Amino acid sequence: MARAILAEFASPEALAAAIRRLRGDAHARLEAYVPYPAPEVEEALDRPRSRLPLVVFAAGATAAVLAYGLQWLLVAHLYPIDVGGRPPHFPLAFVIITFEMTILFASLTAVAGVLVLGRLVRLTDEVQGTDGFESATGDRFWLEVSPRDAGLDEPATRATLAELGALRVVGAGETGGAP
Amino acid sequence: MTRDPLLVGQPTDAALADTLLGTTWRARGWGWGVAFAISGGLTALLAVCVTYTVTTGVGVWGNMIPVAWAFGIINFVWWIGIGHAGTFISAILYLFEQRWRTSINRFAEGMTLFAVMQAALFPLLHLGRPWFAYWLFPYPSQMEVWPQVKSALPWDAAAVSTYFTVSLLFWYLGLLPDLASLRDHAPTRRRRILYGLFALGWNGKASTWRHYRAAYLLLAGLATPLVVSVHSIVSSDFAIGLTPGWHSTIFPPFFVAGAIFSGFAMVLTLIIPTRAVFGLQHIITERHLDGCAKLTLVTGLVVFYGYLVEFFLAWYSGSPFELSQFFGARPFGPSAFVFWTMLACNVLVPQLFWSRRARRSVWLLFAASLLINVGMWSERFVIIVLSLQREFLPSMWAAYAPTWVDLGILSGTIGFFSLLFLLFLRFLPFVSVAEMKELRHELAGEGNHG
Repeated sequence: MARAILAEFASPEALAAAIRRLRGDAHARLEAYVPYPAPEVEEALDRPRSRLPLVVFAAGATAAVLAYGLQWLLVAHLYPIDVGGRPPHFPLAFVIITFEMTILFASLTAVAGVLVLGRLVRLTDEVQGTDGFESATGDRFWLEVSPRDAGLDEPATRATLAELGALRVVGAGETGGAP
Repeated sequence: MTRDPLLVGQPTDAALADTLLGTTWRARGWGWGVAFAISGGLTALLAVCVTYTVTTGVGVWGNMIPVAWAFGIINFVWWIGIGHAGTFISAILYLFEQRWRTSINRFAEGMTLFAVMQAALFPLLHLGRPWFAYWLFPYPSQMEVWPQVKSALPWDAAAVSTYFTVSLLFWYLGLLPDLASLRDHAPTRRRRILYGLFALGWNGKASTWRHYRAAYLLLAGLATPLVVSVHSIVSSDFAIGLTPGWHSTIFPPFFVAGAIFSGFAMVLTLIIPTRAVFGLQHIITERHLDGCAKLTLVTGLVVFYGYLVEFFLAWYSGSPFELSQFFGARPFGPSAFVFWTMLACNVLVPQLFWSRRARRSVWLLFAASLLINVGMWSERFVIIVLSLQREFLPSMWAAYAPTWVDLGILSGTIGFFSLLFLLFLRFLPFVSVAEMKELRHELAGEGNHG
C-alpha cells in the first residue's frame, strides 16, 4: 500500500512556495502541518471556508427555540404562578435564559465542531511517529502528499520536494531513517 | 510618536517555545513552596469554614434581618466581577484585533475561570441547604414544582453556569495547540503522555486549523455579549428589588464597568509578580501593563460616572428613602468608612494612570491594583450592606458585623484562587505559544516590532 510523503520546510514561505509548485504539477491531495496558521500557507492551499459557522448558527437557533419553549411549558403552562402581577406567559422575563442557552449551546457546538470536522480525538493517525515530525508543533512547516494523490510518483515527488528546499523528506510513519 | 515594542528583541520560534513551554518543567526556587504553603493553608481554612457552615447552618455567618445578603453576595459579585477582564481580553480585544492581547489572554482566561469558581461557591452556600442546589435547574421532578424564571435568581444560575462553561471552552480550545506542543517537546515520557491525552490528537493539520480558527472567532463573538450580560443579570438581582440604593436603571452598565475595572486591576495584581518571577519582561512588556492601566482608567471613570448618577437620581427622585440612603446612611451611617474607602480607592487611585510614568512604574501599578481590588470589594459592601441596614422603616434599621466564619471564607477563597492559579502557572503554558509565534511572524513580515 502506498504511503504519504512528508517534507519538512523551514518557513511558511518555503512551504507555501512548495504547495504552489506541486499544485501546478497536478498534485491534488496536499495537506500542511503547521505550528501556527500562517496566511501564506492557507492562501496556497486555497481551501473553501469552514462550514462550521452554519452548524453553530443552527445549534444556537435550536437552543433558543427550545429554551423559550421550555420556559413557557414550565412557567406558563405546567405551573403558572402570579409573581407581582406579571402574566403567566411573560416574554420579557423569558428573554434572558433564552439568550444564555443560545450562547451556551452555540459555544458547545463550536468546540464539538472543531473536534468532529477537524478529526481530533483519535488515538493515532497516519503521520504519528514519523521521524522528526514533532517539529510540526515547534518551528517547522510540513507538507504531506497523500497516497491517494493522482500525481504521486514516490521517487519523482521526493526529488521535487528536495529541490524545493525541503529540510527532509520522509514517508509517513517512517522511523529511524536519515534525514 | 513611536510605540513601544510588543515583543522585545527578535526571539526565534524555538526560543519563544522554549521560554514559554519551559515554565512547565523548569525547576523553581523555594519561593514556590512558600507560596503553595500559604495558599494551601488558606484553602484548608476555606474547607473548615465551609464544613462548619454546611453542618451547622448559615446562622454562623453575620447575616441577619434586615442584612440577609451580606458577605455571601458581596463575595459572589466581587469574584464574578474579577472574572470579566479575562473574557474582555480574550473576546473583545480579539474582535478588535488588538495585538497586545496575545501575551496576556491565556493568563487572564485562567484568572476568569478560577474567579468564577470562587464566585459560584457563595450562592450555593448561601442557599443554606446546598445539597438542594439542583432545584435551580429544571429537571423532571415528581414534585411538579419548577424554577420560577420570572425571578432573577434562575437567571443568575443560567448566566453564571453559561459564563463558566463558555470561558472553559474558550480557554481549552486555545490551549489545544500548546498542549500538542508540550506532548512533542516536554522532557519526560510521563509528561508527554499526560499532555498528549489532553491535546486530543492535535497535529497542526491545516484542515483542522481552518475549523479551529472559525470556531475561535465564533467563540469570541459569542463570549462578547456574555461580558456585558453576566454582570447585567447579576445587577438585576438588585435592580428589580425595591430597596433604596438598589432600585435603579443605572445598575447594569454600572455593574459591567465595575466588573471590568476590578478585573483589569486583578490582571495587573497577578501579572506583575508573574512576569518578574518567570523573567518574561520581553514578552509581557511595559506596553501590556500600559494597556491594562489605560483600560483600568477608562472603566474607572465609567464607575465614577455611575456613582455620580446614583447620587443625582437619588436627589432627583425626591424620595425621602433614597435621599436618606445616599445623603445620610452611606456617608455618615454605620460602616460609613467602607463608603469612603470605596471612593478613595475607585475614584482617586485610578487618576494616577493619566500619567504615562505611573502607567509604567511597576511598583506603583501593583500598589494601585491592590487598592482597586479593595475598593471594588468595598463598593459591593456599600451597595449590599449599607442599603439593607437602612431600609424604609426606622424600626428595621440595624448595624451589620461579619463573624470570623465570614472572614475565613473570604480569605479562604483568596487562598483557593491563588492555589489554582499557582497550579496553572506550573503545569500549563500561561502565554499562548502558538499565538505568540503567529504574532512574531506577523511582526517580522511587517519588518518591525511594533
